[in-house]
Amino acid sequence: MNDIDRFLKMSEYVGNRNVVLARDEFERFLEENVGSYDFVHLKCLDRFNKVCEIQKEGIKSAIVEADFAIAETGTVVIESKGENLRRATSLCDNLSVVVDASRIVPNLEGIADFLRETTQDSENYVSFITGASRTADIEMSLTLGVHGPEEMTVYVLK
Amino acid sequence: MKRVYRDINKALSDEVLQQNLDTFYHNYRESHRKAYEGLNFNDLRKEVGVIKSLKPEDRFALFEEFKNNVEKAGAFVFEAKDSKEACEYIVSVCKRHNAEYVVKSKSMTAEEIKLNPYLERNGIKPIETDLGEWIIQLAKETPSHMIMPAIHKNRKQVAKLFREHLNVDVDEDDIEGMVKIARHYLREYYFKAKVGISGANVAVVETGTIGIVTNEGNGRLVTTIPPVHIVVLGYEKLVKTFEDALKILRVLPKNATGQIISVYVTWIKGAVESLNSSSGKKELHFVFVDNGRKALMDNPYFNEALKCIRCGSCANVCPVYGVLGGHVFGHIYTGPIGAILTSFYHDDKKAMELLSLCCGCKACSEICPANIDIQKLISDIYGGLRFKYGVDKLRSSVYSGVLSKPSAMKRIAKVGSLILKTVEKNSHLNSCLMPKKHDFRVLPVPKEESFSSLFRKKFEALQTTVKSEKTVFFYPGCAIEYVYPEIGESVVKFLNKIGLRVKIPEKMVCCGYPAVHDGDKISAKRIINESVKYLPVEESFDYFLVLCPTCGTTLKYLFREFVSDTPREYKKVKFVEEKIVNLSRLLDDLNVKVKTKNGILFTYHIPCHQNRGLHFNGEKFLKSLLPNYYMPMRDADRCCGFGGSFSIDYPQVSKAILDKKIENIVDTNASVVVTECPGCIMQIRGGLLKRNIPVEVKHLSEFLDEYVEVE
Repeated sequence: MNDIDRFLKMSEYVGNRNVVLARDEFERFLEENVGSYDFVHLKCLDRFNKVCEIQKEGIKSAIVEADFAIAETGTVVIESKGENLRRATSLCDNLSVVVDASRIVPNLEGIADFLRETTQDSENYVSFITGASRTADIEMSLTLGVHGPEEMTVYVLK
Repeated sequence: MKRVYRDINKALSDEVLQQNLDTFYHNYRESHRKAYEGLNFNDLRKEVGVIKSLKPEDRFALFEEFKNNVEKAGAFVFEAKDSKEACEYIVSVCKRHNAEYVVKSKSMTAEEIKLNPYLERNGIKPIETDLGEWIIQLAKETPSHMIMPAIHKNRKQVAKLFREHLNVDVDEDDIEGMVKIARHYLREYYFKAKVGISGANVAVVETGTIGIVTNEGNGRLVTTIPPVHIVVLGYEKLVKTFEDALKILRVLPKNATGQIISVYVTWIKGAVESLNSSSGKKELHFVFVDNGRKALMDNPYFNEALKCIRCGSCANVCPVYGVLGGHVFGHIYTGPIGAILTSFYHDDKKAMELLSLCCGCKACSEICPANIDIQKLISDIYGGLRFKYGVDKLRSSVYSGVLSKPSAMKRIAKVGSLILKTVEKNSHLNSCLMPKKHDFRVLPVPKEESFSSLFRKKFEALQTTVKSEKTVFFYPGCAIEYVYPEIGESVVKFLNKIGLRVKIPEKMVCCGYPAVHDGDKISAKRIINESVKYLPVEESFDYFLVLCPTCGTTLKYLFREFVSDTPREYKKVKFVEEKIVNLSRLLDDLNVKVKTKNGILFTYHIPCHQNRGLHFNGEKFLKSLLPNYYMPMRDADRCCGFGGSFSIDYPQVSKAILDKKIENIVDTNASVVVTECPGCIMQIRGGLLKRNIPVEVKHLSEFLDEYVEVE
């Protein structure tokens, strides 16, 4: 299994909705749907970016770009130095994450260099996110959205 | 009644607890197996074990480097020599910021230093944000599991707590609704709190970055929204590189909850942007808690326990935890590793109580993702503490005075046999002599004639007639020598039938395990040195057979430690170690083929010390031997609750564990339970007899002798 397929399999395993799109398809998708997001933070298509103030009430939905993804675990990796980005990904009900297929590393060790580079010389905050916020603290019954997102969608751009 | 017995009885009669623990035990084992599919767990845990076994001098150097790295990034580092210093420092930071509330994400180190009560005494309100921690905070309890703190509660109890404390209407069956209430209620406090407190799962030295693992996302909010972040951690969390940290991260969630990875892993380096801070930057503090860690690191032996990555899996597979939960089998740290950590950080008396609850099954040692031999540490530390407090002189004198002397053993077995036979004939006398709590199994009566004596009379001369090049040296062990000589006879007959010659020790001396398990090293050394005298010499045998895997494990892994100062004995032991086999392993090696005589259906109970001691699980072999007659047993490798002196010290716990085994046996519909340990036979047969369940329990050797023909 290649890294993209493995990533998709693991991402699905934790309950994410996964969508594989070509870059131009994704662009068209955004043009039509960008209005439905409260917060947009993309590096590849930054003309769509949208910022909003995020307080305890939270926001409905956010779409952000991941720096990397990890095939082994179905994880997206997001450098979140700015607090607004951290708030958006923590306090939205629906989280969408975009990752370029070329940024998928095979395993956990594959992300060590990125962690080293981003934390070498200055302060930083890097998040691994693998699915919606969840708990099993009452009778080991899996329940989503305990503090953060209730749903997560991943767009893999080919 | 002693408090511990009261607590045990309370836990055993708590239906909610029993049901939750049972569900968890089964779900966990299955999800753990699945999470490691395609990976070699043993290789991974060995690697983590190496990463976490730092020399103390390395650890101190790493700490300096970490400190330097985080200070450069604007953080403050405080070294607290004990809980009080740590709590005082944290309170001073909170007071400086006029914090009325602090939000916390789960931290066992914060539990260790009893931070919450300290904050409360100082007028600061800590709010636990991990749902399980919050539930037990509302209930004013302590965590009963390191990862699932509220595992002892059910939905109705949680609903009641919410109703009482939050003044809300709660549907007691609606877990999702309760989670929504928690989300809504706790959300407020992230924004109200001036300070967020977390632990750290790893502290990566190379750049001064910590990693925090959560599923709920509360860790991200605690470390993001309040302007101040305090990290409470021990020196054992330091690792050199991100590669090391990621290797720990690979095993931690898999072992903790059976997840491939936790939902959130948060990496924090230094004072990042903070919208709620007047300076625009987070105020970040690291509180390193010593609490004796630095001293313990010096000792290679205690340093071993500092490898723990706090996954809680030792509790997940522990049969004792599985019936008692963490409020009885735990103090602040719960389960098997908790017993050790209590001896490190809390008081001796409590530690001894917890250490004494170990049944010695080694399930913890086998599951530990940091490769800590937890069971051995428990037994050794328990021994040290017993020696210190001079308890149980009676037991020690039995070990030293009887077990090391075959002639005394023989006399006692004979007298015991006569007395018990009289008792057996008179059931009235039996119930008078046996206290009610011990009366959950029918115990066997020692035989008047020992196995060795029977062997010399009936079998020894025959051995020269066996036409074979191969000789099996059979070590009967005390149980077969004195209680079950018929098992020994059956193995001799069967081995002769398949063309193997049998020899036995000139004198049968105990393997010393009872003394080892009780931590009585002085008696153990005496017994083992006597036992070694009668071990065979190199040229005289091909296999060293044990029918008791506990004797086998002791011989294979522990004898060497007790003869390490006498080279000749050491060599002898090392040679024997290589040749030790249990019966199923021997027959598997020889590729023995059999067919059933009477088509009886059988199942197999895997003795703890066979599977996790001698590392051979006969299940597969037996299944292949008689595939149409073998009935698989659920949790075949779960302890039967015998544990030697454990079942005498804690009969209620032993019975509760045995009940589960019997339930699983009955479910198989087999007529015979085959196993390979006289201790298990004593326990399971005794339990079945007591309950009038018509299932026979046979040692593999008896089963083969009675129910099969060699092809």
